[in-house]
Amino acid sequence: MALALFYIAAAVALASTALVITRRNAAHALIYLVVSLLSIAVIFFLLGAPFAAALEIVIYAGAIVVLFLFVVMMLNLGRRSAERERLWLQPGMWVGPSILVGVLFLMMLYVIVAGAPGTTEGTMVGPKEVGTALFGKYLLAVELAAMLLLAALIGAYHLGRRYLGDRREESSRENRP
Amino acid sequence: MTGSALTALAPYIVLTGGVTLMLLAISFVRRGPVTLALTLAVLLATLASVGFAAGAGTQLIDGFVLVDGYAHFFTALFVLAATATAVLTFGYVDRRAAQREEFYILLLTATLGAMTMGAAAHFGAFLLGMEILSISLYAMIAYPDTGRPPLEAAIKYLVLSGVASTTILFGMALVYGETESMQFDALAGDGALLRVGQGMILAGLAFKLSLVPFHMWTPDVYQGAPAPVTGFVATVSKGAVAALLIRYAVTTEVLAQEALFFGLSLIAIVSMVVGNVLALLQDNLKRLLAYSSIAHMGYLLIAVLAVASAAGPEMAAETGMVYIVGYFAMTLAAFGVMTVLSTDEDVEDLADYEGLFWRRPLLAAVLAAAALSLAGIPLTVGFIAKFYLFAAGVEGSLWLLVWALVIGSAIGVYYYLRIVFGMTRQMEAGDEAAISWWGPATVAILGLAILVMGVYPTPLIDAAREAIRGFGG
Repeated sequence: MALALFYIAAAVALASTALVITRRNAAHALIYLVVSLLSIAVIFFLLGAPFAAALEIVIYAGAIVVLFLFVVMMLNLGRRSAERERLWLQPGMWVGPSILVGVLFLMMLYVIVAGAPGTTEGTMVGPKEVGTALFGKYLLAVELAAMLLLAALIGAYHLGRRYLGDRREESSRENRP
Repeated sequence: MTGSALTALAPYIVLTGGVTLMLLAISFVRRGPVTLALTLAVLLATLASVGFAAGAGTQLIDGFVLVDGYAHFFTALFVLAATATAVLTFGYVDRRAAQREEFYILLLTATLGAMTMGAAAHFGAFLLGMEILSISLYAMIAYPDTGRPPLEAAIKYLVLSGVASTTILFGMALVYGETESMQFDALAGDGALLRVGQGMILAGLAFKLSLVPFHMWTPDVYQGAPAPVTGFVATVSKGAVAALLIRYAVTTEVLAQEALFFGLSLIAIVSMVVGNVLALLQDNLKRLLAYSSIAHMGYLLIAVLAVASAAGPEMAAETGMVYIVGYFAMTLAAFGVMTVLSTDEDVEDLADYEGLFWRRPLLAAVLAAAALSLAGIPLTVGFIAKFYLFAAGVEGSLWLLVWALVIGSAIGVYYYLRIVFGMTRQMEAGDEAAISWWGPATVAILGLAILVMGVYPTPLIDAAREAIRGFGG
């Protein structure tokens, strides 16, 4: 039962990921990427890692992809890009992602009706166990990850700063009548 | 975590605390000399805490890091290299960037990443250390923000290093799938997935060490990066990967698998030959040193491969440590001279070094010592290092590798001597830009280290032997 669900989710993940890397249009690719991440979250859930599944949705499908979409769409503001945005998001392009997400949705409905499917292998690892491992056995890893993020933040600050000045000048020039 | 574990972790804690302290200090005082003084104080405190931490003995902490003599040895080496880089960068970065303070913080985090790799005993520490190091390096390579920023080199390094990390991560996942462990000492087994995973990890590490055929990024990144950062990339980043690779090979016995042993031997031989031959064609000192570093990393693989040969892990580790120390001294000296000379643009064409002996005798002498040492001429540390490799190769009956080492070194002599002869060409001393005393003083110390370790290597060898007592047992 769990195995059947796993294979369906895996097929959706493969199909949507293949579509991500073959789309010419960045916005379309990103929408398929959301589907791919959702199906991977289902796989995490079936493998007994509901916490990782939730994080996958909240952080990847939620925060990161939305950030991607914002950046892609905000790169060129103006009438021309508004026109292009309209072209990108024509009704026809929603069919593919909708079918794939529909499959995932049917799986979810089935699970809600028929009860939890259990895991394909191994045991469920809940948020509590994850927390205990992170701040017990893997405390050093958490500390190192903090330093990793700090280094990335300082690097991003320095590299971004040089363009901050230019952008401000540009926008003040544009605002002038 | 016990008290003795905290003692053993002292260098890491001091350095991390130092980074936090510098962040605080920079938000109040943005003055170059203050930042440099703080950086040096943090590095010095880290170095001092190594002696304190060594008192706690060998400690396996949470199965995550193994803090032993080997880790302390490399911590000391990386901290010394970071100190040299910090001093050399002073005066270099502020001519090229509006704010130079972040550079020193990135230098410290990079050092922390390298130290973590030296102590890694778990895939988590391996990956996190490598990423802390790489992420700091991306920003350090792209640091200059006046004129034409070296974004090309930084992006190349970012993408290719990212690919390498992904390959390693995929390999780790496969190995974990087979062994259900991420600790180096529990990765034994013999499955197809395990072998593929180990192969991917080794390929990713070869990428980071810029071995042929994964070397394409090296010359461009070396050329594009600011000279002191190139020196840091060439030494600390590669030294950390090499330190990890030796420990990994000793603990997991991955090279006992013939296919991987054979593959790595092939990579080593091709790197020695291709690196040296391509270096012959270069007219740019940075690119020349890049190809020379490819060859040197090929030489270093002899030490790694000796782990699984008749020479045994102890001999192999000792060889690797002596070689890495020698390589650090001569590479830092070469890039140090380049940094000191680069008052405006980076001075990197070989033509610019012609007649340097008549214009700047001290710098020319140091660069000559570095070049001769890289070539492996006696009385320099490069000779001792190569001699060690030769001995390990013979002991382990790695004949093909020894032959490649000999042939590669013979080719190498030509282009290293080309640098030296170019500098001796007679030339009128013209008006030279003034340079401050601390740069030449640093490279003079490095040059002296090359000669002293070459003439009297006993302390270095003793330190390496002391550090690996009980290693791999």
